Amino acid sequence: MEIEQIDKLLGKYWNCETSLEEEQLLQQFFSENVVPDNYKNVAPLFLYTHNEQKEKLSDSFDEKLNQKIEERQKKYITIKLFAPALKIAAMVAFILALSFSGLFWINSTKKQHFAETYNDPLAAYKEATLALDKLSLALQKSEKASLETLVQLNELNVDWDFIDSLNMEIYKNEEEIELKEEQNLKL
Amino acid sequence: MKIYFIILSLLFSSMNIFAGDFVTRFMEKYSDNKQEINNVNIGRSMLEKMANQTQDEDLKKTFNNLNSIRIITSESRKDSKDYFNKAQELVSEEFADFKEMVSVNERNAKMNVLFKKTDEKNQELILLGLDADNKLTIISISGKIDFDSISKLSDTFSKETQSEIMEENIKNEVNEQNE
Repeated sequence: MEIEQIDKLLGKYWNCETSLEEEQLLQQFFSENVVPDNYKNVAPLFLYTHNEQKEKLSDSFDEKLNQKIEERQKKYITIKLFAPALKIAAMVAFILALSFSGLFWINSTKKQHFAETYNDPLAAYKEATLALDKLSLALQKSEKASLETLVQLNELNVDWDFIDSLNMEIYKNEEEIELKEEQNLKL
Repeated sequence: MKIYFIILSLLFSSMNIFAGDFVTRFMEKYSDNKQEINNVNIGRSMLEKMANQTQDEDLKKTFNNLNSIRIITSESRKDSKDYFNKAQELVSEEFADFKEMVSVNERNAKMNVLFKKTDEKNQELILLGLDADNKLTIISISGKIDFDSISKLSDTFSKETQSEIMEENIKNEVNEQNE
């Protein structure tokens, strides 16, 4: 091949305008002929491409590929077999949960879980008032204890305004620190 | 996987709800024929009847708002203390979602009031009491619980008792005069 033709083809190659045949011509030139000095820097590129294209798949490639595909298909089948069973189990569990909740709701709204002790309202009234009296006394005791605590606190003569002002200062300081941190982060 | 986890949680939560109220659980777990224990249950229909029969407006309102009152008592000194401790254990094991409202720990008497509010109409209260005579009282109340009305009831009851005593005294006096 003439040097002028090579120059022309190389120009087209760098502009990405060469066809596959033209690229093969270039590869052939750089692999077969003694390369002139001015092309020595580009020769390795075409030699590399030429050599890489020579690489061919081994005879056992198809066999190996098919074997791998079969292995993957086998795995997929096992998952497929379990998936419907899991779905059914999930559905059963969901229905059971719904039934339990539904039953509970019906029972809680309509029925009570115990038998009435008395048929006579007066006898039941006596027990109910005793229970409520006990609860009432407990609540009163708690109210009384709370009031006594408040009275004791009042007797301590604590300067609440001073404590409030301390709290406010702490709050202000915290806010200032937060603002500074935010400004530092922005910077 | 997530969906199975959610379904299982749902299932277990519904089973937990089925566990029942405090009195039911207590009776199931600790009641046997060897130890003396009394149980009184007052349900919704009886509460309505009681509300119709009382003249006191606070009490009428309280009865109408409640779903049930359940009481456990034990007169036995030895058993009461044991039952009280067991009831406290049961609260911490299975009713930990109840909040303690009142706790009285005096030398001779102990009392805990625990409360749980699901919504406005579904509230539950447990009272565990061990009085000076070592008598056990466990009260479980459910429904809409109005604490303001209930705390006033003690005064109403003492007035009722006083008026009953006065009525009885007057009747006795009249009888004596007639004789």
